Parts: sequence; structure tokens; C-alpha cells
Amino acid sequence: MLDAFLAGAHQVFAFDTLIYMLIGSVAGIVAAAIPGFTVTMAIILTLPLTFTMDPLQGVSVMLSVYVGGYTGGLISAALLGIPGTPSSVATTFDAFPMARGGEPGRALSLGVWSSFFGTVISTIILIVAAPPLALIAVKLGPWEYFSLIVFALTIVASLVGNSLMRGLIAGVIGLGLATVGPDPMMGRPRLTFDSDILMPGLPFLIVLIGIFAISQLMSEVEDDGKTGTKGALIPDVIEFKTWAVMREVLMHPVNLVRSSLIGVFIGALPGAGGSIANLLAYDQAKRSSKNPEEFGKGTPDGVIASEAGNSATAGGGLIPMIALGIPGSAVDAILMAALMVHGISVGPRLIMDNADLAYGMFIAMIVASLMMLVVCVLSMRLFLRVTDIPKQFIVPTVMICCVIGAFALNNRVTDLYLLGAIGLVGYGLKSLDYPLAPLVLGVILGPIAETNLRRALMSDGDWTVFFTRPISAVLLAAALLSVIFSVRSVLKMRRKDRAATDEQDGD
Amino acid sequence: MTNGTEKSAAAGADASAARRARTEFARLISYIVFGLGSVYLSVRAGALPTSRWEPLGAGSFPKLVFAVLAVLCLIAAIRAVIDIRKTGHLYGLSGALRRWIRARQVAFALFGLLVVYLAALPYAGFSLATFVFLMIAQLMIAGISKKTIIQSVIAALIFSVGLNLLFAEVFNVFLPRGVLFAG
Repeated sequence: MLDAFLAGAHQVFAFDTLIYMLIGSVAGIVAAAIPGFTVTMAIILTLPLTFTMDPLQGVSVMLSVYVGGYTGGLISAALLGIPGTPSSVATTFDAFPMARGGEPGRALSLGVWSSFFGTVISTIILIVAAPPLALIAVKLGPWEYFSLIVFALTIVASLVGNSLMRGLIAGVIGLGLATVGPDPMMGRPRLTFDSDILMPGLPFLIVLIGIFAISQLMSEVEDDGKTGTKGALIPDVIEFKTWAVMREVLMHPVNLVRSSLIGVFIGALPGAGGSIANLLAYDQAKRSSKNPEEFGKGTPDGVIASEAGNSATAGGGLIPMIALGIPGSAVDAILMAALMVHGISVGPRLIMDNADLAYGMFIAMIVASLMMLVVCVLSMRLFLRVTDIPKQFIVPTVMICCVIGAFALNNRVTDLYLLGAIGLVGYGLKSLDYPLAPLVLGVILGPIAETNLRRALMSDGDWTVFFTRPISAVLLAAALLSVIFSVRSVLKMRRKDRAATDEQDGD
Repeated sequence: MTNGTEKSAAAGADASAARRARTEFARLISYIVFGLGSVYLSVRAGALPTSRWEPLGAGSFPKLVFAVLAVLCLIAAIRAVIDIRKTGHLYGLSGALRRWIRARQVAFALFGLLVVYLAALPYAGFSLATFVFLMIAQLMIAGISKKTIIQSVIAALIFSVGLNLLFAEVFNVFLPRGVLFAG
């Protein structure tokens, strides 16, 4: 283990890796500081640049974009009141009033330090939890694995978006898209309609770029002017009080650790990412505070909880990815795909077969959070100007970067046609309020689910084995329970709405 | 006065119910499209031959997945129909569709431009096609004026030629040169 740890450290601390990570950190902060651009999109844009790097170097750069991105969202959240990414929605509740109350520097520093400590705490939990979980996971048979994927998809569908049904439909569409092309066991072509474009299948990354990035960019130019932001709100002189704020954050250890633990737990659940952790950590901090009435008016506790919560999902999301081969979020799915591009199979054996890579990723997380901290402390003033860049430059340029990413994957022009078509479908789904994360996870989990299902039934054609093997049965029961709970909460909400309407009518 | 407030509140509730019904109707169409598509794909996948070594064969998983999708779409469609009937305010569809498209005309125009760009890329090459795409897209979003034209030309030059050079020289990723420039 120590050998693997040192080998990983050796690769991460190589001069060129550190330089690339530094650039990645800056890029992540800058991208997420632009309102409307998510951490996922920043990672998508980084991906083609890592194709020529070593696997660990590439993943380290993407991790630094990831960690930087979670912090970058804070800038526009605190100064403009607009969450730079969906995962900084709760940050606006207190950081923005604090900034408007004459303390923009304190709000930003609080957020940066909380993000740093949140990431470090989540990485420590990752280091402790992932290896033993992987040891258990290698003992799982194809029955358990298939049931685990069913469970993961139902959890995603019930946690993301506004409707369980549309979440489930999106997840199953993803599974369906993954079946196009050669089948994962025998290579027999399926559902290709003899088209050259569909013959190699739908590459996961093309689906991901099309579904997330192209649809998001198209949404950005809807109703122009509605989200226009002017830089006038940003004051010229900002006092950051870096070290005093660090002490202030450390003076709230309970809030910091609780919010980070919430972030880790939410991050480890498939599909639930920073946006849920950010709100949940804020909510918990408010509930357990002695002065809940101060929340929403610029209290430091609110900023600490929201930022530690969303940043801690970074480490949490890596736990199921490294230990089980099941990505916790869309961003983790891209990291997983990046490793697969390099020919590394991600699953419970990753930590055994490529221990240096797994431990290197842990070290890279810590280094990335340190870099984010240094970059933010030294050059926060510069990043504030990013929010001034007009949309007309950003949207088309990012679109070009998406096209380059899609092309560079296989050097196939036909992939670009797929990208366009999938982008349009993604935009349609987004407009109809289908959650997109289950679809993307469906595409990446589809071949894993199929291989395990077929393996399970190849050795014994009996379907009941899925229910008689204890772990498999527990996972399927958990999947069913997650659907039941989700349906129950929807029904409860509807009843409440109806009661409120009846009351209004009665008045 | 109270009468007027009540009337405007009722009109507001009516408009919101109509909006909800229209959204649900749009979703209903999507459920029908996905449902019919999945039935067709499920049948097609079922026709794939199985192997002696593996009784499930290549078609079983897609058949199962698309069958599940068809069932989910059916349930969602039934619920959508019930919701629409409950609200009972499905009117003004064509007007709402026109407004929806109008609010997204730049988005659709940008997508149309992207399609033309992707089609032209193998022929015109990355630098030329990207230059034209970026310039038109920027002017489409920002509007045409002397200032935006100058800004667009500069930005388009940097990101077309510059990105091509960056990827070729630094990352060894060679973007399409185009049949016009090949040789």
C-alpha cells in the first residue's frame, strides 16, 4: 500500500502535472464563476486536453478543475446573488447579503476556506472508506452488481429533478441508448439500422457533451437579457482578511464537520450532487443553530455550511466510483470515462490492479484543494472580472470547444453529427423538464448492467436467484423502497397543495 | 373593489391552470413519441437471433429495457391525460407554441448554424469553418454594430486559428484540415 501511495505521489508531484493542475484549478474557478456554466461543463471541456496525458495526470487535472469549479460558483453567488453553478444556490442566501452589507471580501474568504476544509475532510473519508468498500465489492457476483445498478438508477431518478416518473424515463432512455451498436459480450451489431454513424454505437462522451453542454448553451441564449449581469455590483476595493477568516471558519468546527459529512454522504449517493448537498447542509445548519433567525441575513454559519457541503461532495462522489465502479454524479461519470479512454477498467478491482492510480487520485484531491486555496487567495480580484465577459463570446466559443472534444475522442467526423442530433434531443428534454443526469448515468451503467445480467443468467437461467441471494434481494428491496418513498412524498405534497387550495377557496 | 380583485385572482389562477395543462400536453406528446419508439425498438431487438452458448442473446437486454420504457411512458401518459382533464383548461395551444418558439428563436438559429458548421467542417476545414461560425454566432447573439463586428472578427480569428494551433502543436490533436486545403 505504501509503495502504491508513493508511486501515486511521485506522479502527482511531477512538475508538469502540478503546472497542468494549476491551470486546471484556474480554469475551473473561471468557468464556474460565469453564471449559467456548470462544473460538469468545465470538466467536459477539459476532457479532450487530457487525452494525450498519462491517466493519473489527466485525472489529476480534471480533479483540480472539479475542486476549483465548486469554489468558482461562490464568486458570482456572493457578489451578484446569481449562483455560478447550481451547486451554489444556498450560498447566495447568506454570502450575498453579507457582501451587500459591506463585507464582500469576508463572504468570499469564508466560502473559500469552507470549501477547502470541506474538500480535505471529504478526501480523508474517501481514503478511509474506499479501500474496504472495494474489498467487499469484489466479492459481489453478477446478480448483486445488476441489482446495485438498478438501485443506483432508482435513487438517481428519485433524487434528481421534479418528477420521479420523468427521472425513471430518462434513466431508461439512457440504458436504451447504450444498447445501440455492438453488444458488450459478443460484439453483434444491434439497432444500428445499417447506418455507418450508429455502427460503432453511441460513445458515452458524445452523449454527455450533447445532452449537457449543447443543450445548456442553447438555453443560455433563450430570452436574452433576462439573466444579463452587469459588473456594477462589484466594488473596486475588497478587503479579504484571509487569515482572520480562516480562524473564524475553524471557530465553527461542528458546523464545518457536519456540513462536510452531509456533503460526503450526498456525494456518495449516485446522482445526488453538490446542488442537493449545498441546500441540505444549509438547512441542517439553520435547524441546529441557536440563532436561526439570522440565516438569510448574512450569517457566517450559512456561508460555511453551504460551501463546505457542496465541496465535500467531490470526495464523496469518488467513493462509489473508486470502490464500486459506479459514478456518484455526472462529473464522476466523466472522470470514469476519462480513465476508460486510457484503457483502465473502473470497478472494485481498480484499487487492487491500479493502486498507484487510486492513491494518486486521493493525493491529487488534496493537492487540488490546496491549489484552489492558493489561487483564490492570491488572485480572487482578477476572477471577479470574469463575470463581466459577455455571452456572445462565451456561448459560441464553448460550443466550439465541445465540438473539438467530441471530435478528438475518436477522430471521427460522424461523431459530430451524433453530437448535433443528441444536443437537440437534450435541449428538448431539458425544455420539458426531464432530468438529464439519470439519462447520462443510464448510458454509462447500461453496458455494465447488461454484462452482469447476461453473466448471471448464463450460469443459471433462473431469474429468482436475484431475489434469493441476500445482498441482491436487499438491494432490489432498497430500490423498491426508494421508489415507494419518492411516490409517497409526492402524494403527501399534492395533498398539502390541495388542502391549501381548498382553504383558499373556503376563504 | 373586492369584486375586481377576486376577478383578477380568478383570471390569474385560470391562466396558470392553462399553462400547466399546456406543459402537461407537451410532455404527453413526448411520452407518446418515446412510448411508440420503444415498442418498435423492443420488437426489433426481440428479432435478434440468440446463440446456442448464450440463451439470452444480444437482443434480450434491449428488448427488456425498451419494454420497461414503453410501460413507464404508458403510465406517464395516462397520468398526464388525467392531469389535463382535471385542470380542464387546454386552450391557446398554437399561440403558446408560437410564443415558446419566439422566446427561443436565437437558440434555434444557433443550433441551425451549428448543424451547417458541422456539415461544412470536413470540407472547409476547422479554421475557416470555425471562423465563419464564430463570427456569425457572435453577431447573432450580440446584434450587428460597428463595435460588435470588430470584436467578433478579432475573437473569431483568435479562437479559430488559435485553437487549431494550440491543439495541433501542444496537444497533438489534429482537427479536420478540410478537402479544400488538403494535399
